[in-house]
Amino acid sequence: MLLNQPLKQKLLELLSPEQVLTDELDLKFYSYDSSFHAKLNRFFPEAVVFPRSTQEVSAVMRLAYEHNISVTPRGAGTGETCGCVAVQGGIIMDLSPWDTIEEVDVANMQVFVRPGVVHANLNTHLEKYGLFFPPDPGSSRMCTVGGMVSNNSSGLRAVKYGTTEQYILGLEVVLPNGDVIITGGQNSRAIKNVSGMNLTKLFVGAEGTLGVITKIRLRVWPKPKGRGLAMAVFDNLEEAPQAVLDVYRGGILPSGIEILDDSAIKAINMYKPEINLPNAEAILLFEVDGNPAGVEWEGQQIKEIVSRRAIKVEWATEPERIKSLWQGRSVVATAAARIRPDGSRIFAGEDISVPLNKVTECLRRIKKMAKEYGVAVVNYGHIGDGNVHTAPVINLDNQAEVEQVKKLTDAIHRLAIELGGATTGEHGVGAVRACYATAEHGEALKVMHRIKHTLDPTGIMNPGKLLPPEGDDYSA
Amino acid sequence: MLSQLKQLEDVKDQFQKCVRCGLCRSVCPIFKEDRRETTAPRGKVFLTQMLSSGEIEPGSKVSDKLSMCLLCESCSSECPSGIEVHKLVILARSMVSEKCPSLTNQLIFKKIWTKPQLLNRCVGLLRAGQSFGLLNIGYKMGFLPKSSGLLGQLPGRPARYALPETFPAITKQRARVGYFLGCATNYMFPEVAYSTVKVLSYLGCEVVIPKNTNCCGLPQMANGELATGQQLAAHNLEIFSQAEVEALICDCASCSATLSHSRDGDLPVYDAVSYIMQQLQPDFENRRKINKAITYHDPCHLAKAQKITTQPRQLLQMLPGIEYREMPGAGDCCGGAGTFVIKNFDMSMRILDRKIANIKDTGAELVATCCPTCTMQLSYGLSRHGLNVEVAHPLELLAESLGL
Repeated sequence: MLLNQPLKQKLLELLSPEQVLTDELDLKFYSYDSSFHAKLNRFFPEAVVFPRSTQEVSAVMRLAYEHNISVTPRGAGTGETCGCVAVQGGIIMDLSPWDTIEEVDVANMQVFVRPGVVHANLNTHLEKYGLFFPPDPGSSRMCTVGGMVSNNSSGLRAVKYGTTEQYILGLEVVLPNGDVIITGGQNSRAIKNVSGMNLTKLFVGAEGTLGVITKIRLRVWPKPKGRGLAMAVFDNLEEAPQAVLDVYRGGILPSGIEILDDSAIKAINMYKPEINLPNAEAILLFEVDGNPAGVEWEGQQIKEIVSRRAIKVEWATEPERIKSLWQGRSVVATAAARIRPDGSRIFAGEDISVPLNKVTECLRRIKKMAKEYGVAVVNYGHIGDGNVHTAPVINLDNQAEVEQVKKLTDAIHRLAIELGGATTGEHGVGAVRACYATAEHGEALKVMHRIKHTLDPTGIMNPGKLLPPEGDDYSA
Repeated sequence: MLSQLKQLEDVKDQFQKCVRCGLCRSVCPIFKEDRRETTAPRGKVFLTQMLSSGEIEPGSKVSDKLSMCLLCESCSSECPSGIEVHKLVILARSMVSEKCPSLTNQLIFKKIWTKPQLLNRCVGLLRAGQSFGLLNIGYKMGFLPKSSGLLGQLPGRPARYALPETFPAITKQRARVGYFLGCATNYMFPEVAYSTVKVLSYLGCEVVIPKNTNCCGLPQMANGELATGQQLAAHNLEIFSQAEVEALICDCASCSATLSHSRDGDLPVYDAVSYIMQQLQPDFENRRKINKAITYHDPCHLAKAQKITTQPRQLLQMLPGIEYREMPGAGDCCGGAGTFVIKNFDMSMRILDRKIANIKDTGAELVATCCPTCTMQLSYGLSRHGLNVEVAHPLELLAESLGL
């Protein structure tokens, strides 16, 4: 619904003029995130607000609830699914300026932060205490912890450290009607707590559809002192996932295992020839961290195990060499666009997750489908947990290519479901993947709708995201 | 290449390449203060895209948004997709200026700043105004911008009047080089110009200083008068090409960045410090001791636009008696950015305050930097915070150490 003038005035009664944007030009800057969907469409809010306290968030939510206005929470806008874009208008609540690290409780190994804290800044701060927050998204330098909680983000080191949800001890949440709750025990600083229903997990990964997260109690870990990296080169793609399983069976759990297929290797070498990756069907990168002696032992074990299948394995512990070996992986997202001069990399169908024993089949079939649809793609990802990133590269001005890539990404999502996987491993559903919910969740979707309806009876909380409209059946 | 920039239409591919990953949010000095998407560099890319496609019309609101850019290249140098955001901003400002001309801008950047004699008179009037206390009165009465204080006390005589057209090598000649005298160095810091020329001469360079050079063109490019700026840059490069010099040397980071990015001929353009350290390699043995704790501030147009960070530090560390102290955030912009501080004084001061806090942390007695705009900004900030810290160009220190 449209905001009317008196309501804008009401927002200004709750917040200072600096905390409210209603100018048409200002609002345009809030029409996008990183998604292909936002490249193709324009979604404008009617207002953007910048609350800096739980009371202010609560006041805005009460106002929105009273007048039935949609509210979309937003962090840094680095998502790839339109999750923080106001697809049904209303108010965008930009929480990224609210970036206070309230307390580092070293004795209890936890930290209290506001939602706008940037991931990398949090870890820089924690380093002073010899601690770290392990999830490691590629967007570490810009994404917010609030966004990570809402999307249950992970990243390169999820193999060993898991996803964000494993580190959330409690949350302060403003519900759609403006009420404030604290999950995980209202005065608790305990690490273990099974008292009551686990409401914390309900809000983690809910993409802002159930309430606004205003404070986060995070568990933190001692920062490992040692780190090493093995790079393995394969002339047969099938051998790469097998090598990963061999390492697991050898009793070793690396902190991260990344794959680059031949399309990614070619793209990287075209983008930065000096990286000079060997031409191969696949490259695997195994990162190990922990105490230096243990890291060295595990590294040598990995080298020995993987050498049975790889044509070449290099193990490094010197920071400079590690950086150089990582370089290929770190530039691949950018390098993808270089595989054709008029191409742009888009974020669509970019985050499926499949069982470990289906990774090879998945990569082969994505390549085959890409060929059928005539779309160039680059594949890479977190093979250690079956999370495949596909980067389609198209000419955005060519409408035929745009249509073809839509068909391809739909086919990729359906392939993930067919292989017993998920349409998204870490990037979320947002406004672009809800159509697969019936196929993915079946009867459980009805329960999700009931939970949503209970907490958000008027449907004002980030509408059009995560769940398809009730009663819609996309399974066909 | 700044010389090849013409139309927003020519850079359409850059809009498409922007995946809006937001990495630029983590490095933009203005965004760090403002925290709104409306000042994020990717927002500027989107703004220029909308301008280019006609989705929005040029006007004062668009102009205000575009003015919130230091052109410091922090975002351009970090962008994973290789988008040169600063160039898009320059083009967009030029487009807005063309559609909605600003008489003040045209008067300053097209009429006065392109004619050295006229500029001389204006600076002379300013100097006279300072002497009679009129500027102070004007500032207090609100006729002059808050940034007036940055001028400090204008020196009595511009460097141009004291420098000959050719300055011979005073040791065995090794090279014949051109010296480009930038506006800020000429009017505000003549001592820097003398130091640069004397050091080059002492290290075996015959230095050619043509009289008919003009402003490098950056102020014009940065303020919507792109074509004028490009003409000035081309004019200067042509003069030095005709002077048959082996290299063109600038002691101002902004001038060297502008001229090196505008050139399309063979004449190499060097920052003075990097030329001296790389090509002339001075001998620091048995030189005068400076005996100071010194830190260094990286000008954006040197560190980000030209990737020059090591040579100034090498020079400072090799000076006898120096205790070099690296400051945290040495590469962070100081917020001066030429005319930015005039138009956006409050934002500029917020950025400057962070920098001054970092300088204070080092406990240094002197900050060295290779850009006159940074020098003005840092001097103003240090004085604003009541800190007794000098600001100098590394070549002033080298000249002192060499006894020149």
